[in-house]
Amino acid sequence: MNCQRVRQIFPELLDSRTSATQVPSGSTGTIEEARAHLASCPDCQREFARLSQTMQALDTLPIAPPSGRLRRDFYAMLEEEKHSAESVRAAAERQYRVRRAAMWRWVLSPLAACALVAAGFFAGRKVTPMAPAPATSSPDAVALQQQIKQLQDQVSNMGTLVSYSLLQQQQRPANDRLRGVMSSATLENPSDRAINDLISAVAFDSSPNVRLRALEALYPHAEQDVVRAGVLASLGREQNPLVQVSMIDFLAAANDVEARPALEKISVSVASDENVRNAARRALTQF
Amino acid sequence: MGPPANPLAPGNLPMVNRARAATTVESATEQRPDHALMLAVRGGELDALGELFERHHGRLFGFLVKLTGDRTAAEDISQIVFQRMLKYRHTYRDDGSFTAWMYHLARRCAADHFRRASAAPHAIDPSALHDHADDAPHAAHHATTRDDHALLHAALARLDHGDREVLLLSRFQELSFAEVAGILECSVGAAKVRAHRAMHALRDIYFNLQSTRTGQGKIP
Repeated sequence: MNCQRVRQIFPELLDSRTSATQVPSGSTGTIEEARAHLASCPDCQREFARLSQTMQALDTLPIAPPSGRLRRDFYAMLEEEKHSAESVRAAAERQYRVRRAAMWRWVLSPLAACALVAAGFFAGRKVTPMAPAPATSSPDAVALQQQIKQLQDQVSNMGTLVSYSLLQQQQRPANDRLRGVMSSATLENPSDRAINDLISAVAFDSSPNVRLRALEALYPHAEQDVVRAGVLASLGREQNPLVQVSMIDFLAAANDVEARPALEKISVSVASDENVRNAARRALTQF
Repeated sequence: MGPPANPLAPGNLPMVNRARAATTVESATEQRPDHALMLAVRGGELDALGELFERHHGRLFGFLVKLTGDRTAAEDISQIVFQRMLKYRHTYRDDGSFTAWMYHLARRCAADHFRRASAAPHAIDPSALHDHADDAPHAAHHATTRDDHALLHAALARLDHGDREVLLLSRFQELSFAEVAGILECSVGAAKVRAHRAMHALRDIYFNLQSTRTGQGKIP
């Protein structure tokens, strides 16, 4: 690289925006080559020093600050503009736009939420795999199908009865409802209807005492799937920590492995009461 | 006799101080970037221009003093630049750079100023800018420094207007060459070539003036 080419690159060397290896425009050499030449050429060093000195003098050339007139005139102009008709109108329009945007937010938010729910519903219907075709080949499978069918019918009946019972019970005083639960508990062979009453009391009664007593009454029938399923379903909607702990103890005593996922969730939920979490952890160790 | 009245005293200019006080409080809590402030101005929050003025008017004024060689003209042009920012605030783009836009406006305003002037911008006589060194003891160094500044002013004044413009813009390190090229309305390569040519030209004029001063003891 000769002196002429290197001197073309001098401005690049003095520019902090130029990267170390960038090829400058209009030149065939690189910054690194120019630096290498500069280190060994006294003439170029002298020229570079003069250019550098000039630019440094230009960059550091002191300029006294402007007079106060500039600031005064500027703020006077700004104030005048703020009070001009156009600015006042623009400010009013801006406020109107802000208000309108807020109003649209109020309107659109619920609509968007509904649309999201609907989209989720339809998406869920689309992606949910179809139920596998029932295996009708073996007798065991047929028996299992029948059991499941019976269980489904029982659950369905239970739902109807629970609703009915709920309506009935909630209209009576708590003492009456408690007495009803206790009378059901004293039966040696309670009917399905009585069991359903107890489950519905556990699930829906407004009194924690009634729910606890009904749960206690269900202990002798914990071997029934429908009982364990009812208690497990009730656990999800239960808010009272005392009743929650009792329900967890019930499921643990019944060794209901179906309850494991729900208990695991409760055991780590920060929203749950500490005693409830501990009960869930304790129950999990018992399975 | 009491002290002279301060033209910026609160009693005299409440609106000025209100805006500045608001600016101070805002900057203490949150330093909004220039671009956000200008977008706010565009959206109708005119007080945000006060913050931009406080940040940039000094440097803009310095640029214009070097460009015009005239402090009074530089003040007038600075005022016009901020006036145009207000007037044309709706043209500020979402993807714009405030600094580049400001110097773009400044260049246009300076061009208008030169066009209005009956003659081309006159070179500043260094002796009119600064007093000569006095005979006081130890003043030699200060006199030399002042003379160097005067020499540089003279060298800038002798530079072609276009060269002076591109050189001053290119020395602002916060402007990329792409932005300089945008302000000058030319390609990046052309902006670089022009800036480099202007640097060499200024160096030659500056050192010629220095050698003349050394040889003759007076700046021509």
